[in-house]
Amino acid sequence: MILSPFMVNFVSVGQPAGHVEGPAKVTGKARYTADVALPGLLYGKCLRSPFPHARIVSIETAPAAALPGVHAVLTGADLPDRRIGRFFLDMPVLARDVVRFVGEKVVAVAAESMDVAEEALARIDVEYDELPAVFDPLDAMRDDAPRVHAETSGYRHPPIPDFAHPGDDQLFPDIPNVVSRVVYTHGDVEAGFAEAAREFTHTFRVPPVHQGYIEPHASVVRIEPDGKIDLWISNKTPFIARGQFAAAVGVDEARVCVNPAPIGGDFGGKGSLMDSVAAYHLAATAGRPVKMAMTYTEELLAGNPRHPAVVTLRTGVSADGRIVARKATLVFSCGAYSAFTPLHTVHGSVHAAGPYRMPNVEIEVLRAYTNTVPAGHMRAPGAPQIVFGVESHMDLIAAELGLDPLEFRLRNTLTEGDAAPLGDKWKKIRCRETLEAAAEAAGWTEAKPPDVGRGIGMYDREPGAFGPSSATLDIDADAKLTLMTGAADTGTGSYTVLQQIVAEAMQLPLSQVSVVQGDTDTAGWEVGAGGSRLTHMAGQAALAAVRALKDGLIGLAGRQMETPREQVAYRAGGFVRTQNADRLTLTDLMASLAARNETPLSFRGDYVAENPVDVTSFCAQVAEVAVDRETGQVTLTKLTTAHDVGTVLNPLTHQGQVEGGAVQGIGQALTEHLVVQDGAVTNLHLGEYKLPTAMDIPELETVLVESDAGPAPYAGKAVGEHSNVAVPAAVANAVADAVGVRLTDLPVTAEKVYAGLRARGERGGET
Amino acid sequence: MKTIALHVNGEAVERRVPDHRLLVDFLRNDLDLTGTKEGCSVGVCGACTVLVDGKPVSSCLALAVTADGCRVETIEGLADGDRLHPLQQAFIDRGGFQCGICTPGQIMSAKALLDENPRPSKAEIQDWMMGNLCRCTGYYKIIESIQAAADVGSD
Repeated sequence: MILSPFMVNFVSVGQPAGHVEGPAKVTGKARYTADVALPGLLYGKCLRSPFPHARIVSIETAPAAALPGVHAVLTGADLPDRRIGRFFLDMPVLARDVVRFVGEKVVAVAAESMDVAEEALARIDVEYDELPAVFDPLDAMRDDAPRVHAETSGYRHPPIPDFAHPGDDQLFPDIPNVVSRVVYTHGDVEAGFAEAAREFTHTFRVPPVHQGYIEPHASVVRIEPDGKIDLWISNKTPFIARGQFAAAVGVDEARVCVNPAPIGGDFGGKGSLMDSVAAYHLAATAGRPVKMAMTYTEELLAGNPRHPAVVTLRTGVSADGRIVARKATLVFSCGAYSAFTPLHTVHGSVHAAGPYRMPNVEIEVLRAYTNTVPAGHMRAPGAPQIVFGVESHMDLIAAELGLDPLEFRLRNTLTEGDAAPLGDKWKKIRCRETLEAAAEAAGWTEAKPPDVGRGIGMYDREPGAFGPSSATLDIDADAKLTLMTGAADTGTGSYTVLQQIVAEAMQLPLSQVSVVQGDTDTAGWEVGAGGSRLTHMAGQAALAAVRALKDGLIGLAGRQMETPREQVAYRAGGFVRTQNADRLTLTDLMASLAARNETPLSFRGDYVAENPVDVTSFCAQVAEVAVDRETGQVTLTKLTTAHDVGTVLNPLTHQGQVEGGAVQGIGQALTEHLVVQDGAVTNLHLGEYKLPTAMDIPELETVLVESDAGPAPYAGKAVGEHSNVAVPAAVANAVADAVGVRLTDLPVTAEKVYAGLRARGERGGET
Repeated sequence: MKTIALHVNGEAVERRVPDHRLLVDFLRNDLDLTGTKEGCSVGVCGACTVLVDGKPVSSCLALAVTADGCRVETIEGLADGDRLHPLQQAFIDRGGFQCGICTPGQIMSAKALLDENPRPSKAEIQDWMMGNLCRCTGYYKIIESIQAAADVGSD
């Protein structure tokens, strides 16, 4: 039993369990999409564009089609002229007439083996006529810029969702190559600047990074003789994938079944159709099932990386160091297509004011097409780019004001009763407490050796509260419960948390509750993983299913006990008559129902968040670095991460999110960078794209500042997209503190720090 | 084509394979042992790690023919029936896995480590496991899992 700090006794909630997902994953029995084996399976592969922008003059596929073992060869001209995407439908399945980035799919083949498929690709000849290209989003917005898309008026999209932060949204405004322009305002920003004592403006640049999941995207498509389509796909949102896939291939949604498969790492990147539509057309042509599994080189070349960004921040400050106005201009490169983002904009942009009190804010967000790999979502989309700017900017201002970075933040952090910068009204604001906890654990005021520095980064994010969730709860003759969810398992431990929630609500042991993923024909409609929503939304749906089950069983227990249902209550594995101590155990009830052939029973729970969530979660981090002045090498010696959390439903998986996120942040801070030259990603394997290894992790100190407010069952909050966001800013601030070198772009490499030291005249002589 | 005879998880296997067939494809496609995963395909990520005559090998870089006459161990052979190997149990109990795609490789590398060095220090674990990338856990709980399994093994 765990005692929460708020003196609520929990039985299952709060246990460090990892037992639902674990056994299949540690024994190799878990079948991911690439592991699916089917009779007659063919292997699909695509030929990709070597040019960032070119007209396709001709494609010669006959030598490939003639190769023994090749069953289908398709070009864009062979497919319906139908574009695909998650919001904007702007991307062809295979290029038609024009290619717009290096790595765009041009020809797809299906063959008996991967060897034959690769040989077939080598026999295809494509003639291109190169076109002028544009790679930088600022260049793309100039009047003389090449247009990535000559015409955008035909790009369909759903309505803009009604978010908590309504902005002034324009799609395809009259700016070259711009997909969307959104402006968020609160207060009067020019009036704010008019009353400011001082103003500061800085610009920051953040390059693209890859999600770094170890499972490359895979898709398997089987078309049954009756027209039914079975799909296995590395997609964390099976129900959304079903709808998008059905629309993309032009069939009724009811004909498509997305089958369960664990996701081998998501981090926001596994929400698209990727190769599945090409695989469908290959399967339809060949009359056999087709598997397409990307290589990691294809992932790095043509996955859907985090948006590169140019972040410009202008801030007005009063004489006593209080922020009075902030104007942010955020320019994102969305790459050659917008198809990989589920929204028109990059919604992390709302964080451009940070968790600080400021009455006057204007945030302008522009997404521009460029002839580069299309950008997608990654863990807290947009936030690390913006927060790198926001938190670096805070330190630059503090230095100009002669204030300690902690003191400057403490003067401006949100406190209880404050409106957030865009006007949100949150309760239980623990921003200051979280920052103070981080500073204390990090020893902020303690003396530092030479060339050692400390830096702060801050962030806040609300729990995911969008889209419907549902759950089906079955109970069998042995009183064993099985919760079926339509949410795919991305590795966050959601099934274990759902098991704990059901066991807690039923007051039953964990071993009596199973959790399974249902296919999209069987499970109830469920948005799936994303935005740290499952513990909250799927958790509440599970609780609703428990309520339905209890309600149904109480009626049956009343019948059995010959008592009106109003006088029966469920208590810890049994039913009691409220007027006396008679008790019918759940086991006995189910056994007697089984004898009457009335088992198993099935109950459904649904949940839709109706109101905006009125709490958020703050995160404050302190990085401590040591800089080698001879080489510029930065060593991250310690990272302190403090989190404002609700009830921790599972300490093991909760801490797993904190640690995994922190190390992703470390990668973005120090080593990760998709190097794009002339529009092409050039570091094309994991030896060159440097993810952190077990050797690269610092001492990590986690501080949990617990609160009793949260929208998830048992007052839980979100934690999945917090610890990765502010690390790059904290590291850059620490480097500036250590040796006075301020970097305004990522990653923080030895070369840049060395150059900075030389520019300061602190390294001289060498060349 | 060449006929190879080897032991996979203790069972004798004889197959004809093309000379260029990779060990990872042989295990996954020819033997349907899909517990061994393919991540980077260039020997960097460690997801495809198997043991060949007790030594950890990136099966994406090894040809199947080089395993002729060898003893190959994969994740599928680690448990004793329903009884998990201490490393498997520790990865569950300590949160050493999340999405699970790297987990078979992590556990096979860790087994090779503990076979060679039953009580490794934290630094020795980090050094040995450097070739097994994990994007979910940040490695802290993988290291704890290996330490816990080492403690069980030495009891």
